[in-house]
Amino acid sequence: MRTSLTNRSVRWTGGIVLAGALAGALLALPLGLAERPFELRMLTLIFLYSILGHGWNILGGYAGQTSIGHGLYFGLGAYTSTLLALRLGVGPWLGMAAGGALAAGAGVLLGVPCFRLRGHYFVIATLVVAETAYQGFAAWEWVGAAIGLQLPIAAEGLAHFQFHRDKAPYYYIALAILAAVTALVWLLQRSRFGFVLRGIRDDEDAVRSLGFSPARYKLAAMALSTGIVGVVGVFYAQYVLYIDPGSVLALPLSVSIALIPILGGAGTVSGPIVGAAILVPLSEYSRVWFSGSGRNVDLLIYGLLIMVIAVYRPDGIMSLFRSAPWRTFIRRLGLAPAAGDAAAGNGVAGTARIP
Amino acid sequence: MSLQLLVQLIVSGLGMGFIFALIAIGLTLIYGVMNVVNFAHGEFLMIAMYASYLAYATWGADPLWTLPLVACAMFAFGIAVYYLLVRRVLRGSMTSQIFATFGLMVFLQALAQFLMGADYFAIRESRLSGVVEAASIALPVPQLAAAAGAGLATAVLYWIVFRTRTGRTLRAAAQDRQAAATLGIDVDRTYALAWGMGAACVGVAGSLLSNFYYVFPRVGAVFVLVAYVVVALGGFGSIHGALVAGVLIGLLQVVAGFFVSSQLKFVPVYLLYLLVVLIRPHGLYGRM
Amino acid sequence: MGIGRMWTAVAVAGLVCSAGLPLRAAEPVRIGALYPLSGQAAKSGEDTLNGIRLAVDIVNNRYPDLKLPLAGGEGLPGVGGAKIELIAADHQGSPETGAAEAERLIVQRKVAALIGAFHSSVAATSSQVAERLGVPYISGESEATPLTERGFKWFFRTTPSSRTQARDFFTFLREVNKTAAHRVQTIAIVHENTLWGQEFAKSAEDYFPEYGEFKLAINLGYQQGTTDVSSEVQRLIALKPDVVFHASYDAEAILFARTYKQFNFAPQGIMAIGAAFGSSAFRDALGSDASFFVVRDHWSRDLAARHPAVAQVAKMYRERYGKDMDGTPARAFTAMMTLADAINRAGSTDPEKIRAALAATNLAATQLIMPWDGVKFDAKGQNVLTGAIFIQTQEGTPKLVWPASLASAKLVWPRPAWR
Repeated sequence: MRTSLTNRSVRWTGGIVLAGALAGALLALPLGLAERPFELRMLTLIFLYSILGHGWNILGGYAGQTSIGHGLYFGLGAYTSTLLALRLGVGPWLGMAAGGALAAGAGVLLGVPCFRLRGHYFVIATLVVAETAYQGFAAWEWVGAAIGLQLPIAAEGLAHFQFHRDKAPYYYIALAILAAVTALVWLLQRSRFGFVLRGIRDDEDAVRSLGFSPARYKLAAMALSTGIVGVVGVFYAQYVLYIDPGSVLALPLSVSIALIPILGGAGTVSGPIVGAAILVPLSEYSRVWFSGSGRNVDLLIYGLLIMVIAVYRPDGIMSLFRSAPWRTFIRRLGLAPAAGDAAAGNGVAGTARIP
Repeated sequence: MSLQLLVQLIVSGLGMGFIFALIAIGLTLIYGVMNVVNFAHGEFLMIAMYASYLAYATWGADPLWTLPLVACAMFAFGIAVYYLLVRRVLRGSMTSQIFATFGLMVFLQALAQFLMGADYFAIRESRLSGVVEAASIALPVPQLAAAAGAGLATAVLYWIVFRTRTGRTLRAAAQDRQAAATLGIDVDRTYALAWGMGAACVGVAGSLLSNFYYVFPRVGAVFVLVAYVVVALGGFGSIHGALVAGVLIGLLQVVAGFFVSSQLKFVPVYLLYLLVVLIRPHGLYGRM
Repeated sequence: MGIGRMWTAVAVAGLVCSAGLPLRAAEPVRIGALYPLSGQAAKSGEDTLNGIRLAVDIVNNRYPDLKLPLAGGEGLPGVGGAKIELIAADHQGSPETGAAEAERLIVQRKVAALIGAFHSSVAATSSQVAERLGVPYISGESEATPLTERGFKWFFRTTPSSRTQARDFFTFLREVNKTAAHRVQTIAIVHENTLWGQEFAKSAEDYFPEYGEFKLAINLGYQQGTTDVSSEVQRLIALKPDVVFHASYDAEAILFARTYKQFNFAPQGIMAIGAAFGSSAFRDALGSDASFFVVRDHWSRDLAARHPAVAQVAKMYRERYGKDMDGTPARAFTAMMTLADAINRAGSTDPEKIRAALAATNLAATQLIMPWDGVKFDAKGQNVLTGAIFIQTQEGTPKLVWPASLASAKLVWPRPAWR
């Protein structure tokens, strides 16, 4: 019979080796992509969408509050940092903190009334709030209306958060943020906070009866969720140096932010990353290969793929890895939720253990 | 601010409102019976409009005469969608159902563009175009027809749902699926029927719309957003809720567009929704 | 004597013969084209790109009957007969995707120059990439005025900006007022609320001080993709403007025209920027109701009276792509021809040489299919020799009605009542 000490060391060693190899590969990759901006950008986009997916997941996957209006917070982040830079000369990193904070604050402010709604009513509420913001910004002169805002080209460097010829720094920054957010989510879902969130998703009234205040937890989740999305919005502004309502506030963006973690597996740590790793290349390569006829073959494939996954893997692709041997393996690496939440993501209350 | 102006505004608002209502009724019916939001509902509208336009372009058939045919075709289409796709995702979570119909939406939009190209098509002359003069007030016929058609469709639907055996079956399955099954109701067929009827409603709306609106692959997106708000405002699952909310929103956007701002004419609609659900978290008329 | 000499003779003969042949076919000159080829603007993107494809074909192949520069021969003589290889990329209307595609075309596909982008927002970001990487960028149809106000060295624009076009409306009305029975006094601007519409509205509003005889009745923005325009039209009816300036795309043009008829709104004139109110889709949808709108257009078949190449090019476009050419593909065609001419004069694919050649461009009116005085770029990269024409559909066909020197029909003003 194995002692618990041996089990743990097996678990940790396997995890460390795998993580190390992965980290090494990711860090070295840009060196090989010097003359391939397309692939470099695609990877950067995968990282960014993964972060967005993590953000959405905190609210949608773990707390069970489905939002299709998260684009609003992306836009708020982008506009905040850009306006601060243009009107007050505030630097981009400070702008990022401000953008994230504003997005988090807006999330809490909007969450107070919206969290009184349940189910589809909440979903529609998030939708109309985002649409109102989109139309409002498109008509508002002070933020550039539909003409948008352009950030002036500054000298390259970390201080200005702009890189021109070699885009690898953007890649690394995105990777760093992704690593930080992934770690955050991983810790979160193992913590009591995460436990309560999942409880709220599965049965809000039961959680209330246990003495927790669902409203407070939902708002906290919202702040985290929207703050993360806002930070990515700032990154986008620094990446493209031009923002307008169509690119940072529109509905398709909100839909993508929700779709990626859902596709990958809502309520899992790796779900958003898997979702981004599949959807981003799919969208990019199908545009490069197929569009040009104006016949939308790429979208045909995209739609079919989503339907197929919905039918055969309704809990997202990560559910592929829910078979018993996979689960044991992943759990040994510390990447999966704890055993009691095996039913995560399908709305069935898991066999929760009292902490 | 003349009386003429006011009446014309109201007629326009009602006309669009009834169209919104009709689209929304199909959506809310499906939801009411089986708790699924059809995110491809806008594309059902698009298909109905293309069908109506193509009948006109190929055979010169007037949309008024092809309306029942389009409704029947959409009925069949709705049933097909149920059996081919929706049935298989019923066991999943709400998000996976949203997901499935969302995929259908993307697919149908892309298919339409693939087959028909991205051009805009509009029916030039039809029975239902033109204006009716009543006491020197111009009442556009398409909007009048839309109001009449939607009103009629709602009445028919009401009659079916509340006065026929089929309707009782629908309501039973909506209330309690398992109990209905134990009573010998074929729940599967009932759900398919709900999809068919929902699609037929939106088929009628599409046929009426094609008299005055242009069709292109993304026309569904334009209307379905409003339809969702209508359904939610009226209360998911409530048919008369959808009717009332649709008309209300149609009137509000026309009035807001005139008195406040055309660019932001839907913002008051969105704010109305938020206001209503904060007071009544299940919309105006809650559950069916 | 003997075998050795014979072989030497053969070798010498071979050398003499081969001197007449090109040593090897010159490497093609790669040009990147950025257009929306999927999504909402796919149709427009495709049509515009077809204009460019036609230009590339004309440059690359022999068309001795076509009196346009570079049409008579094959390829670009200045670069050793090299042909143009067009590489199209889809930006889907997204500024970020446009920038990314520009970078990919430059770094990975090694294009010598870029042409694009239809959407001004995408032209802004993609030309910024070109500026950063030192590659010439020419735009034939992105109109937003700020594009040439950025102090860029590598950006060139052949089409007139929104501001220039807005001014043409006032010039036109001033002339109309000289002979009109009822002078035009109030103007309403109706515009869709994305960048293009807002840009035009802003430019037009800025001209009211200069043209003091006109007053702005209302600046009415509407949501692009609206379900109906009853409230918008009712607002116009309440204000009774003499003239309406429209900045609308195809879809809403149809909607507005229909609603105007329904409510019997008939101001003295309804004028429009952009192709929508003069397009074939518009005429198909409205039939006889499509007449009498006055469109500030860029190109018309009627220009063939002045320059036969216009008719030839229009015919080629129609035959190959199944549609009538309109102002936007015509402008893109012209931009591509301008670029080809510049590369030809540069004599190489070196970016700086092409840039210098572009800056020195001086094409005459007879070398273009446009109603312009030529192509010449100012220090900001803007073509200053553009000219306007106004088109009015009469009896189902679009007719050139202004300026008088190019007109093929008389302007009908004020517009008659709806039938």
